[in-house]
Amino acid sequence: MVADIHLGNVSKTFPAKAGKVEALGGIELDVARHEFVSVLGPSGCGKSTLLRIVAGLIPPSGGEVLVHGQPVDGPSSKVGIVFQSPVLLPWRTVLQNIELQVEVRKLDRAAFRDKAHKLISLVGLEGFADSYPYQLSGGMQQRVSLCRALIHDPSLLLMDEPFGALDALTREQMGLELQRVWLETKKTVLFITHSIAEAVFLSDRIVVMSARPGRIQEIVTVDIPRPRTLDAMKDPRFHQAVDRARKLMNAAGLPE
Amino acid sequence: MRSWIYPVGTVVILVVLWDVLVNAFSIPQYLIPAPETVVRHLIANWKFLLGHTWVTTYETAGGFLLSIVGGVLLAMAIVSSRAVDQAIMPLLILSQTFPKVAVAPLLIIWFGMGVQTKIFVAFLIAFFPVVIATVAGMRAVETETMELIRSMRATRMQIFWKIRLPAALPHFFSGLKVAVAFAVVGAVVGEWVGSEKGLGYLLLWANANLDTPMMFSVLVLLMVIGMILYYAVVWLERIAIPWHISVRGEGPQATI
Ligand SMILES: Nc1ncnc2c1ncn2[C@@H]1O[C@H](COP(=O)(O)OP(=O)(O)OP(=O)(O)O)[C@@H](O)[C@H]1O
Ligand SMILES: [Mg+2]
Repeated sequence: MVADIHLGNVSKTFPAKAGKVEALGGIELDVARHEFVSVLGPSGCGKSTLLRIVAGLIPPSGGEVLVHGQPVDGPSSKVGIVFQSPVLLPWRTVLQNIELQVEVRKLDRAAFRDKAHKLISLVGLEGFADSYPYQLSGGMQQRVSLCRALIHDPSLLLMDEPFGALDALTREQMGLELQRVWLETKKTVLFITHSIAEAVFLSDRIVVMSARPGRIQEIVTVDIPRPRTLDAMKDPRFHQAVDRARKLMNAAGLPE
Repeated sequence: MRSWIYPVGTVVILVVLWDVLVNAFSIPQYLIPAPETVVRHLIANWKFLLGHTWVTTYETAGGFLLSIVGGVLLAMAIVSSRAVDQAIMPLLILSQTFPKVAVAPLLIIWFGMGVQTKIFVAFLIAFFPVVIATVAGMRAVETETMELIRSMRATRMQIFWKIRLPAALPHFFSGLKVAVAFAVVGAVVGEWVGSEKGLGYLLLWANANLDTPMMFSVLVLLMVIGMILYYAVVWLERIAIPWHISVRGEGPQATI
């Protein structure tokens, strides 16, 4: 079967004052359909850059990027993105923010109205459809942006540290919720995070990167059955994976 | 909260202070008339003054409206292309360095003594803040928002209508508040260089005849015009951007 995401020897250099910054080098990765893959690595190792390349927002400097076997040459309709900040438009309500995706892609507004409401309740935001972003907490805003990333039914979900700005408890809740949404909608997910525990809890595989130039150090497989509850964190396999990832992160020479 | 208490209170305090000072130092009427004298002058000549006020009002409003249309169109051109930006911006700044009073006589020669010349002078002075504010607003779109809309494969038109334009509104309204005061000045300047009606004309006439009560009456009326137009803008702003922090009124003073 063709992988949903294929990265073959992908590299990216940015022009800088003194010559160039090599953000990514020699990235080899295949993500299978319905797989949940996390990317873990020290700050500045090129995680966001990797996500932007897969999203078609920036081109790679070298290598091959395929989504569903097709070369990526720009943003695609098969991709939904959740950014680190919610990026909601303050002049639009929750529902209107979600429907931005529908409007811009010129999909049938009426047909997607139902779906939007379903997603809103799926992430536990019933009753907030007509609220404005400033009336929501950070966690609620991030859930809206998750709905927006899912509304057009992409097969690929790219998430760049979506829970980075949340407190530990909310973060755990969001993790559980994301797993539920993922099990229900069966997307292929590329999930960037700073948190080892979060990565292990959510992922089938964890890509651990090293700092500048960003390279893949090792891919850690997490073999815990789904659905995982918070009790999964007591599983010895959970601890094994966490230990392994932490060792690799330490080897990368920088604090997590 | 009665928001009108503060502006009205300020005016009342200033008028009382004015009255006290004039009386305390027995300032002669030809230097500074007492508020009471001005009010009596306003009442005694109300019909005459109203006619001239009306003239200046529509000249101001005309120049103001024109500056909105012209300012926004120019801002759109500047934002749409780097070449236009670099070609127009220096001219725009240059055009602001020479005093409009100096070019106004030339405009009289070109366009005649009619109302169109005054409207044009008001426009010339008022459009600059509109352009600058609108350009700043349209550019104030964050990188992540641009990435979001690009990930939806938005066209340039969609980016403009759905992102840049609404994002520019708060800045745009700030520009309008400056422009409205400038437009009053513009209309008066236009009247100074050639006219036989309007408050600017009256001001010159009062000056030549050392009629200070008349001069102060005219100044009061100019302030009234400015205030009415300013609050019209504030009212529009409340309707147009209820979501914005400046309208929601959750400034720092509210959270002490
Ligand atoms: N547009 C750009 N122009 C120049 N350099 C860039 C650009 N974007 C990223 N970089 C550089 O590429 C490197 C990787 O950046 P990236 O944002 O991908 O890191 P990251 O792993 O997402 O970091 P963090 O965890 O802090 O978000 C950094 O050294 C950064 O300075
Ligand atoms: Mg990043």
